[in-house]
Amino acid sequence: MPKHTHEIRDPIHVFVRLDNPERDVLNSKPFQRLRHIHQLALTYLVYPGATHKRFEHSLGVMELASRVFDVITNPDNVSGEIRNRLEPLGKADSDAWRYWRRVLRMAALCHDIGHLPFSHAAEDLLPEGWDHERVTREIIASEEMRQIWENMTPPLRQEDIIKLTVGPNKVKDLQFSDWEAILSEIIVGDAFGVDRMDYLLRDSHHLGVAYGKFDHYRLIDTLQILPTPSPSEENQSGGEPTLGVDEGGVQSSEALMVARYFMYSQVYFHPVRRIYDIHIKDFLKDWLPGGVFTTDIRKFLSITDNEVTATLRKAAFDDGEPGHSHARRIVRREHFKRLYERNPIDVGINPEAGREIFDALSRQFGTDMFRHDRYSQKGGSPDFPVRMRDGRIVSSLAVSEVLNKVPVVSVDSVFAERGIFDKAERWLNENREKIIEPRKEEDANG
Amino acid sequence: MDRLKRAALITRLLENLKDKGSWCGETHAQKASFFVQHLMKVPLEFEFILYKHGPFSFDLRDELTSLRADGLIRLEPRWPYGPTIKPTELARKLQNNYHRTLGLYENKIAYVADKLGAKGVADLERLATALYVTGQQGAGDPPEKRAAKLSEIKPHISADQALASIREVDQMIEESQTILH
Repeated sequence: MPKHTHEIRDPIHVFVRLDNPERDVLNSKPFQRLRHIHQLALTYLVYPGATHKRFEHSLGVMELASRVFDVITNPDNVSGEIRNRLEPLGKADSDAWRYWRRVLRMAALCHDIGHLPFSHAAEDLLPEGWDHERVTREIIASEEMRQIWENMTPPLRQEDIIKLTVGPNKVKDLQFSDWEAILSEIIVGDAFGVDRMDYLLRDSHHLGVAYGKFDHYRLIDTLQILPTPSPSEENQSGGEPTLGVDEGGVQSSEALMVARYFMYSQVYFHPVRRIYDIHIKDFLKDWLPGGVFTTDIRKFLSITDNEVTATLRKAAFDDGEPGHSHARRIVRREHFKRLYERNPIDVGINPEAGREIFDALSRQFGTDMFRHDRYSQKGGSPDFPVRMRDGRIVSSLAVSEVLNKVPVVSVDSVFAERGIFDKAERWLNENREKIIEPRKEEDANG
Repeated sequence: MDRLKRAALITRLLENLKDKGSWCGETHAQKASFFVQHLMKVPLEFEFILYKHGPFSFDLRDELTSLRADGLIRLEPRWPYGPTIKPTELARKLQNNYHRTLGLYENKIAYVADKLGAKGVADLERLATALYVTGQQGAGDPPEKRAAKLSEIKPHISADQALASIREVDQMIEESQTILH
């Protein structure tokens, strides 16, 4: 008897299951390429276990998206008001319900399909107006994938997959219905997006750290579609529907937000990891024709971490190769060292202190001796609706002291070339206060 | 626009909204910024799309988070709804460095705060979407046509509410001309 369902072993979710049409997506060239894109770029140079790839993460996101969908569309978890507002919720197990479940699974599976080699490290090296989400969109709409979507029963509309995969933030030319907005929230949502849930759990597992672990079973079990609590008198029935939790899920939501904070502060923003990202970007700028990745999808799909790594190793030992100095810094572990780190005192004087310090050091010693790394956490506050046991719907920030206190992670660092580090450090210590002193607008040129 | 200059403008807007009695949650900050940028032509340079509660900017959402990281604003939880955004003493210090920019846009920010400060989320959604539709279709289009478009985009807004919102926005556009010129 032919097999219709296929199981894949997974260290986080135990089994991930697909049916035959879904396996066609798995077997497609764009998806198989993800076997060769590291989830965390060169993080394995700091945490040796970080060798996992976008391939297994994408499977995990599909698995979690399905679980969330099944919970939030379970009739026991849907209020009459929400059911009336979101049509496919009217009949669980209807054709519409099955269609959207499939679209969600495929969108989740393909959410990283347009990632560049070394993931986010090289994001800036796409031509103006492009990012990995736009590449993802192009791949989903490509001829190879179009045939797969059309062969499914019922056929999937490319536009639906694109919307859910990329989300409203990156698909500004398409309008989202409330239902589509909710489904895209399941994948890329700020509070409960399963992309983040999976990478926190998976990265923790592979790196050997406990920071990213939280009770995702409990959290997912308490998710519901709820109206946004609103102080407007004429809108007591609530605002736009969004993902929230039953009161019993508040603690696991807190654990998720705290896990995110610790993973960002301890892993993703680890200074050595960050400087390796900068060095690989510098290398790619020298190595790629014109310093940018191609957006010809066929050519784009032929480049993975493997091709870049092979060239990187060669360039590190041959000073005639493009990007030699940057490759050497990575392969021989001669990376720049962190000279300046954001701190509350300097931020209180000048929130852009790192930029001022980088500019001053560059003027004093030369631009190529330093690198500036500035990044602030994206997304909003952890404010989502909570359904209390008495039926009231309130803001998460009104019921959780923990959520109110989770810090925002922000990086503002300056790195220096090793040969000049001591001299630059002495100079900075002597001049720091003067450098970061804010200038009044009237005193500044222009 | 330079990030800190823009931060001075945003925090001043939030202060003005609060002074006018606004709840000053994220939706209020979003819609008021939309009016400041699109009605009063202040170059905040945020990209707005039609999303929850009408025009919404993911860039502005990220910027508000950055302002929190920099200690320029803080969230004050208020039962049972979402938090109020409060500019801090550091924001005041920052504004002191940008007298010229604030002077240039002060009356425009004050006008928006005056008009929107007392409004709730539902009102703000209707008005901001009305301004969005007017911007897309042009103020020369009859109010009824723009109101129909507004109801089409936001089906929970009735035809009467939509028309009233379009007319209110037209009135604001007319008033803004005096300030803009």
